Amino acid sequence: MDENNQEILVSLDSEFGLHARPAALLAREAQKFSSDIWLGFDGREVDAKSILDILTLAAPNGSTLRILARGSDAQDAVRHIRRLIMGRFEEKG
Amino acid sequence: MAKEILKGIPVSAGIAIGKTYYLNRGENTSTIRMDIDKGHVPEEKNRLREAFSLALNDLEKIRKKIPRELKEQAAIIDSHIMLLKDRKFQNAAGDYIRKDMINAEWALEKAVSDIEKAFSRIEDEYIRERIQDVRLVADRVRSQLHGSPADPGTFTQRMILLAPDLSPADTIELQLDKIMAFATISGGKTSHAGIIARSLQIPAIVGVEGLNELRHGQFVILDGFNGKIIVEPGEDELAHYTELKYQFEEYQSQVNRNCHLPAETIDGYKIQVFANIELFEEVAAVIDNGGEGIGLYRTEYSFLNRDDLPTEEELFEEYRDLASIIYPHKLVIRTLDLGADKIASQFGPIREANPALGLRAIRFCRRHPGLFKMQLRAILRASAAGNISIMFPMISGMQELLEVKKMYHSVRSELKAGKVDFDPTMPMGIMVELPSAVLVADLLAREVDFFSIGTNDLIQYSLGIDRTNKHVSYLYQPLHPAILRSIKHVVDAGHEAGIEVSLCGEVASDPYCVPILMGMQIDSISLNPQAIPGIKRIVRQATMDECKELLKRVLESKDVQESNRLVREMIFTRFPEELMFYTSLIEE
Repeated sequence: MDENNQEILVSLDSEFGLHARPAALLAREAQKFSSDIWLGFDGREVDAKSILDILTLAAPNGSTLRILARGSDAQDAVRHIRRLIMGRFEEKG
Repeated sequence: MAKEILKGIPVSAGIAIGKTYYLNRGENTSTIRMDIDKGHVPEEKNRLREAFSLALNDLEKIRKKIPRELKEQAAIIDSHIMLLKDRKFQNAAGDYIRKDMINAEWALEKAVSDIEKAFSRIEDEYIRERIQDVRLVADRVRSQLHGSPADPGTFTQRMILLAPDLSPADTIELQLDKIMAFATISGGKTSHAGIIARSLQIPAIVGVEGLNELRHGQFVILDGFNGKIIVEPGEDELAHYTELKYQFEEYQSQVNRNCHLPAETIDGYKIQVFANIELFEEVAAVIDNGGEGIGLYRTEYSFLNRDDLPTEEELFEEYRDLASIIYPHKLVIRTLDLGADKIASQFGPIREANPALGLRAIRFCRRHPGLFKMQLRAILRASAAGNISIMFPMISGMQELLEVKKMYHSVRSELKAGKVDFDPTMPMGIMVELPSAVLVADLLAREVDFFSIGTNDLIQYSLGIDRTNKHVSYLYQPLHPAILRSIKHVVDAGHEAGIEVSLCGEVASDPYCVPILMGMQIDSISLNPQAIPGIKRIVRQATMDECKELLKRVLESKDVQESNRLVREMIFTRFPEELMFYTSLIEE
């Protein structure tokens, strides 16, 4: 796997799953990167920059999510998104 | 007899009697399907785009009006704004206009219905219900499409507001002073409406079946104690509820009127009642509610909500200003109590399977001495005011405490060498919230000026439960014999060493728990400002003898059911009013 093509798994630890607030935080984080980013769950992959896509993924607490990124800042992108998910979306604001 | 009685879930106590105002954004905007010509597709798409952008403008305006204390609501509105900005949402509807050659309203409906389908497959009930967020956003766009956005903002007289659901944006737009109660069809205990109603102290019921049958202007009684709406009540019901409403209001005003009196039992035992606060702006609430100082100032807020770290100067000014406003009362500042997970951005990626058992509070500070010493300098400099105490969270044992003290003293020496002013007698204490600290409390007590027992964490760590995990939250039992014995042990150990012991967890604001704490002769309690008047009132009506007797019996309990029963009996007999108007952590 090269630097511009990243894929990791992370488990979702957010009491009520990927509902509107965490989905919004996740999409906002993804939008900061120029890479294309996808979020995978349950055999489906959606655009991680779209809150609507993330919501339709409907991932409950405890899900294993797949983060894929392709582009020049792919490594940073997956790292940041993983940190957000592992930090239980506690980035206030 | 009433015409009808509707039932729901009570989420905020109180009684309201009056006319209804039925708020329904969809009411005059029933959506119908209209086929359009191919030539009209761009025009229809424009309407859609325009409606999205107007709805977005609206919501952004509302977002700006949200006060800081409603952080939770702001986050939800932010997610609604993200939804409106999401091109996919608009494009999904736009595609339907083009493909099916239909009007924008119907296309929007179809796009929402696709999302609903995706959501309906979800097993988890909470997340399935979050389709509400998409619906609320779609409602805003729909009312823009109709060119007549619902305007719930103008009432001429105070009303009981009924609605299918209340979004955070709705509640901010509404003239809240004109609303005497809420009722909604959807929602559970965690719904927005409930949170807002409780913070405004107005009665509210959610999850009311059959609410949509009601109309504007109907005369009802809303019972926020039992979760009932009595439609067109009979004379007997009206008389009963008018009396209950009067009693409750009388009770509340009496409680508030006497909140500045000391918390002293009939037989002369005094307990100090302080406030827990997080925001500077809460100081007014401390004073208004009869708080005798600030027993816990959570310093985390200044470290969140930002990309960089606060400077020492910023923190110093914050602490100094707070101390001078509350002077001559005391201000206990707790050093940073955050997990690595919360301010990860400045400190590199963190991988912790169990953040609650990981690098947090004092452990995090010790790992980042630069940051910790910066906060210590700010607190010490502010201490020159003379009314500040410092408190370290999550101390696990002797070695850790001695190392923290060493850091603290080295900062003091530096300031002294630099001829910087500070209070050399500033009291220094620790939070006792880990079972290990409880067991060595006698040793720790010799090293500090005071203890403050943090029951929220103590319960979590003693019973081994994550209290935010709904599968085990039923085990969160403040009256578990292990918890009561732990608290008693810490109080005794502290008194043995001649230091004061305080308690600052939620238990301190629970009317069922306070008599037991008094029986232990705890020196002070610290609680959220709004709960202070009621708790002071209970103390003022109790005697130390009965509190000691209750404590003795409860400590002999073999299990939590027995403790709960004993406490409920006492409260039932001695404080029936409290039982009627209060909620407790203690399960039935």
